[in-house]
Amino acid sequence: MAVDSIPPIILTQLNYLLTHSPYSIKVEQMWSGSKNHAYLDRFTLLIPFCLDYIKWDVIYNAQFPLLPPDVIFGPEDETFRPFPAGREGEIKAKNSLSDWNCKDPTRLLLLIHELRSLYMAYQKKRVGEVDDERLKFEINTMYSREGIEMYMSSGVDKPEEVKFAVPLLEMDLNKMVAGSTWRHQQKIYLQVIYPVSRKYLAMASAPRLKLISSPELKALFSIDEFRLPSWLEGMCMAEYLPTLEEMLESQIRDAVSSIEVRRKFITALAIPFGRPLEADPVFCRKATFLACSGVFTFLVHFTLPLQFPRQQPAVVLQSSQHFHSHSGNAPIKSAILQDYPWSPRWDVSQMAERISDYLVDECLNFKKHCNEVLVQQR
Amino acid sequence: MDDLSSLHKIQISGPTLASLLHRFSSAPADFDGLLFGRISHLTPSPLSDDPSPSDDHPTLIATVTSFFSSPSPTTFHSPSLHHLISSSPDPLIGWFSGRRKTPLRPSMRESSLTLSLSSDPTFNLTNCLFILLTTPFQDQLIHTHEYKAFQFRSSTGLFEPKTLDVVNLGPAFRGHYGSFTPNSRFPDLPFEVKGLGSESMVEDEGKVESDKFGLVCDEGFNVGRLKSLMGSEAAGYTAELEELYGNMIKKMNGLARVVEQSSARLLEQEKHNMKLRCKVAGIE
Repeated sequence: MAVDSIPPIILTQLNYLLTHSPYSIKVEQMWSGSKNHAYLDRFTLLIPFCLDYIKWDVIYNAQFPLLPPDVIFGPEDETFRPFPAGREGEIKAKNSLSDWNCKDPTRLLLLIHELRSLYMAYQKKRVGEVDDERLKFEINTMYSREGIEMYMSSGVDKPEEVKFAVPLLEMDLNKMVAGSTWRHQQKIYLQVIYPVSRKYLAMASAPRLKLISSPELKALFSIDEFRLPSWLEGMCMAEYLPTLEEMLESQIRDAVSSIEVRRKFITALAIPFGRPLEADPVFCRKATFLACSGVFTFLVHFTLPLQFPRQQPAVVLQSSQHFHSHSGNAPIKSAILQDYPWSPRWDVSQMAERISDYLVDECLNFKKHCNEVLVQQR
Repeated sequence: MDDLSSLHKIQISGPTLASLLHRFSSAPADFDGLLFGRISHLTPSPLSDDPSPSDDHPTLIATVTSFFSSPSPTTFHSPSLHHLISSSPDPLIGWFSGRRKTPLRPSMRESSLTLSLSSDPTFNLTNCLFILLTTPFQDQLIHTHEYKAFQFRSSTGLFEPKTLDVVNLGPAFRGHYGSFTPNSRFPDLPFEVKGLGSESMVEDEGKVESDKFGLVCDEGFNVGRLKSLMGSEAAGYTAELEELYGNMIKKMNGLARVVEQSSARLLEQEKHNMKLRCKVAGIE
């Protein structure tokens, strides 16, 4: 995409939208609508909604840059009318399109945000109109929860389904991790998908449940390793959610406290190895030390798993004196070392000492390996 | 018009559609405009003796006879919109929008505009037509245009896709001969013809102006005098008449030149406007 062929008015608004939106909005494609294809003035936005993306085409007109953009919604949302026109004589409510000022870079962001919240209300209304007893009950009992997004999925060849994105845990995950560098608010959601049955069934099947977190959270807590509590027959969301949240909360507290355990281990490593060259100060998942045996100097990389100390760290040695002659002079590294003595019951200083002792012999093997590689390269 | 009535189909003559498509392909960017025409009831004539329960509803057919467009998506900002609509020989039946490389479904602006157009009592458009013109996303395709016609139902607030029946020459369309006068309206500009002073053209339907025009053109040569062509004085009159014709052709040539020059000036002005717009937008 050539940036210089986007009219500056459109570019500043688009850049403002992409950098200032609390949701991570993406541009899927950008193209031109003028006769000579000179300027890119229309693009498809991918907007996060209900743990999925909605695609909206934003249509500017490069020939008439002062006019506000038009938006084409998805083919399923034919009845979505965000700004209904008032009858003659009625006072029209102001929206982000009234008094459009193309020189104001915030306008596109305001428009997209207003449309997204109207779309949220529209989907909520559609879901509310579904004639399903159980769904109605679930919506009523979950009503007090804030920030639930819902989506009515219907199509010619798709089964009718209602999707919910339920934000879990009221605690602020960003604040729980000291010194976190997360730009977006970290959140865990429960995705609940109900098939629409339209008639009352005494034994309604369990909804499809899936835990989804914001992607950066995996440095702290792995959502894939969390086992969802089982859904009992005749259960409803209002019963299920408190148990789930309780479990999740205790596991996240454990995950946060395990940062401290890892930090202690890294500190303990500093006794035999000296100060680390590099260490991850926020989540304490990585640390690198410089070590030597005679004149042979090498780096020791530690990668700490989330399950530390139950799971031992992965250790990799890297020579600072031996390099591959081909493949861009990369330093020679060992395979992941795992057969060193380890017990989760040892205290951290003992763990560090045992690894250090192990490496006294192992580094000689690694040195031999490095020399062999160099001989082969000749 | 009964709101419950659903259109059976929409008809448009080949030349009108071709003209619409030409406007679209020659427009520098997106554009829109008004559709004029009529809605007619077609009572079905059962030819067989079969007493099958044919529906009592007469078939409703909309016919697009002409359109008006300005070369930009600003037709509805035109100050002379109401005058334009009231001066048309056929009533307003809807509008159209042309936008390149976009999905073939109504956009947010188009939905709102159609809704407000159909709810405005001055237009009496309870079943507003809407024709959407787009071009395909890939440039290398054989067909260069896509279009879809809709009827907007104000009762449901939905666009119903309708078949657009293109009426062409040929035996299948013999019944339509004479029912079409394809025309495309001249853009409504506040113009003045020199020497005619057309400011009163609207009020008296141009009768005075027409007389004046006649005076300028035929130089007082009364039609009644044409009968002198018969008989003994014919020779003299023929010469006089030939001179009159000569002068008229000269005037026509002059007029054609003036029209050509003014078109060129108009084009220049339009280019200048575009440059100004680009300057405002920061693109040179």
